Amino acid sequence: MDAIRTEALTKHYRVGFWRPRPYVALDALTLDVRRGEVFGFLGPNGAGKTTTLKLLMQLIYPTAGRADILGRPVGDVDVRRRIGYLPENPYFYDYLTAEELLEYFASLFGYAAAERRRRVATLLDEVGIGSERRLQLRKFSKGMLQRVGIAQAIVNDPEVVFFDEPMSGLDPLGRREIRQLILRLRDRGCTVFFCSHVLSDAETLCSRVAILARGRLVASGHLSNLLAFQVKGWELVMTGLTGEALDYATRVGHVARATACGVDHYALDLPVAAAPDRVLSELTARGARLVSLTPVRETLEDYFVRQIADAPRDRELEVSHTDAGR
Amino acid sequence: MRVVSSVALHVFKESVRDRVLFGLVGFAALLIGASYLIGQLTAGQDVKIIKDLGLAAIATFGLFIAVFIGIGLVWKEVERRSIYALLSKPVRRHEFILGKYLGLALTLLVNVAIMTVALYLVLAYLNTHFTDNARAVWPAPAADPGMLRAIGLILLELLVVTAFALFFSTFSSPFLSAALTFGLWIIGQFNADLRNFEAVVESPAAGYLARGLSYVLPNFAVFDIKTQVVYALPVPFSQLMTTTAYGLAYIALLLTGAIAIFARRDFK
Amino acid sequence: MRWRIAIVLVCLMAAVVGLQAVQVRQGGPLAGSIENVLYVRSPEAMKRLALSYDLVLADIYWIRAVQHFGGARRSADPNRRYELLYPLLDLTTSLDPYFRVAYLFGAVFLSEPPPGGPGRADQAIALLERALDAPSRQWEFAQAIGFVHYWWRQDYEQAAAWFQRAAKYPGAPEWLVPLAATTLAQGGSRESSRLLWQEIARTADEGWYRSSALHRLRQLDAMDELDRLRAVVEAYRQRVGSAPAGWADLQRAGYLRGTPVDPAGAPYRLAGGAVSLDPASPLNPLPTEPARLR
Repeated sequence: MDAIRTEALTKHYRVGFWRPRPYVALDALTLDVRRGEVFGFLGPNGAGKTTTLKLLMQLIYPTAGRADILGRPVGDVDVRRRIGYLPENPYFYDYLTAEELLEYFASLFGYAAAERRRRVATLLDEVGIGSERRLQLRKFSKGMLQRVGIAQAIVNDPEVVFFDEPMSGLDPLGRREIRQLILRLRDRGCTVFFCSHVLSDAETLCSRVAILARGRLVASGHLSNLLAFQVKGWELVMTGLTGEALDYATRVGHVARATACGVDHYALDLPVAAAPDRVLSELTARGARLVSLTPVRETLEDYFVRQIADAPRDRELEVSHTDAGR
Repeated sequence: MRVVSSVALHVFKESVRDRVLFGLVGFAALLIGASYLIGQLTAGQDVKIIKDLGLAAIATFGLFIAVFIGIGLVWKEVERRSIYALLSKPVRRHEFILGKYLGLALTLLVNVAIMTVALYLVLAYLNTHFTDNARAVWPAPAADPGMLRAIGLILLELLVVTAFALFFSTFSSPFLSAALTFGLWIIGQFNADLRNFEAVVESPAAGYLARGLSYVLPNFAVFDIKTQVVYALPVPFSQLMTTTAYGLAYIALLLTGAIAIFARRDFK
Repeated sequence: MRWRIAIVLVCLMAAVVGLQAVQVRQGGPLAGSIENVLYVRSPEAMKRLALSYDLVLADIYWIRAVQHFGGARRSADPNRRYELLYPLLDLTTSLDPYFRVAYLFGAVFLSEPPPGGPGRADQAIALLERALDAPSRQWEFAQAIGFVHYWWRQDYEQAAAWFQRAAKYPGAPEWLVPLAATTLAQGGSRESSRLLWQEIARTADEGWYRSSALHRLRQLDAMDELDRLRAVVEAYRQRVGSAPAGWADLQRAGYLRGTPVDPAGAPYRLAGGAVSLDPASPLNPLPTEPARLR
């Protein structure tokens, strides 16, 4: 059983008051998320990531298609006992304290009073809220609200959590803590589905990603697979490399750039066309010694930008074509 | 049921901490206390005047509380998006609406109770100023428990107004909800006149329309038995029952409507 | 799911409407009693409370006045007293001093004696005197005061004085001056009364005002017919020597052709030699004539 599964999930809005035109927020999204993985749902602003999450939480209703969570259709109230959700830019209730908020949410799951208190206390420690927990939420900074948001999402030890921009508003220390929290969740067997437009987080955390652009899925799969064949170049670190050997290599075109790291110790950037073993043997013949040879792969950002650029442009045009086709 | 009571308690807690509410209730209690001073000015009519003022204050302040909290109940959650996190928990949409309503009902009950206690305290204190002879002339005792019937009906009326406010709050902005709720309250006071409209209009069609509307639009005048309790006139039990049933039926209608609208709503 | 909620909604709506109907039948909290309807008794206080809604409130009190009057008229209670009519009309006209119809309604129906009305000509006059401050058609109100004096108080000097006063207002019709003269000369006579009511019937634009005047005219016609019938009965008695037992006797004697019927359609009664209106006739009670003219 997949943790999350969608089939041709679609959401159209009608925009405009006098002559409403259809607007495609999400176009036939089909994807699945396996249990226990950390799945990154990426895309530029306005791609439809939040729309997808809202469809999964049944905050909005789909125009077409379906979605299941843990094998049950979305909207099944029992399944909500086993999931958690952090909305983007969360706002809670000004006049409650952090403790009271978590108590309130915990009470909705039916825990006994003592159990609630225990959970709330542990959670607040885990997300790093100390004595502020007795302050009213209206006094919280954005970063602290974000932590409270994460806490409320995991108050019920969920099997699947949905995070919408979990790192937003956090300073680097905070981001690191949350990254570690996500990894801890994964280690506990929780499936983590998160939306982000911060790719570096996805790169470090996710096993699989999907990229959404203008309502459509443009790529999905294991991170390593997506980036595997896109080698942009090589980095060859050598020591004992003399200046003439370096000049030769540069003149011939083997080396695009050389960065000195010490006396006769260089990190060489080789262009992708170069055959790295040949360059290695030539330089070794001139007396240099190998330290390391690493392929430079395309980053997720490069991949991302490339995918987005190829994505179809006009959302309304797409709809009228498909409608005509039906 | 547990979910509904959790939501209700939460609404109650939130409204208790709302400064506006404190202000309103405090002011009302103060007014009731101050009515004692007004009573001093009117030679012997004190008790009646204080009862009149007190009951009117409870009705009026209750109305403001009902409307201003009621209209924000749903709208604020949706606008600020706190509803996103809430609905991702095992909360059904209708449980959310019912919980909100019950929370506000509880708030109203507490506020009305506070004002009632203030009123009775003032009346009991005033009672000590009069001789037995003077008291014999009164139609009803000063701290008359019979007034609780009027206050009970006032509370029921406020609950209907709240149901209206909640209903509008599920789909329109607070400003519009307030306008509609107040407007309906005013129309509801003159429901009987609407029914008699056909006596003064030429066109029978207008008369029928007015009569039909008077059945559908709320009739708030029936909840007003202030005069009866102040003059100790009898109120038939059957009439109390009918009025209570009417209020409850209207509340049920409005809540069902609110649930129906809320259940299929997209939260953009 | 959708239709289940729809059914529940329809049922609840039906319950609401049904309970409302029950309440209407029960009569509401204080059906008909003074206190509730006039929670604010004083017109001055009401004017202050009304803020800028005086005209709307005037309309609402007008509706209640008409409803109260109609309800009291239709009710079978022999003791009905129309107590609220004057206070309600007073409130109506205080809130909206130009509410012409309310004044005229008061003129006609406040002075009407029981069981048709409260019989308070003084209240009618008090109401109308306030109307004289209106910006137009004052002649109509002055004339109405005149006819209240004429018809209900039988004070022909006052009536003539008011008709003359009415004639001086702008827009007054020409017949007011001869009406004043006739009233002074033979006030209470059927001719002058007929003149008064004919003019009112001709110029009134409210339906009930006109039909009230026509009603009076029919009463006057009935009085004339009664006189003629009495003369016929007297002639029969002188000829035959005894009073006729019924209309058949007179018909056989050739004095009448059919059963005489009053202007409202009810047959006249002949009993024990005396002619009178049928008790069920809507023309009852006939107005009394002043002694000096009979």
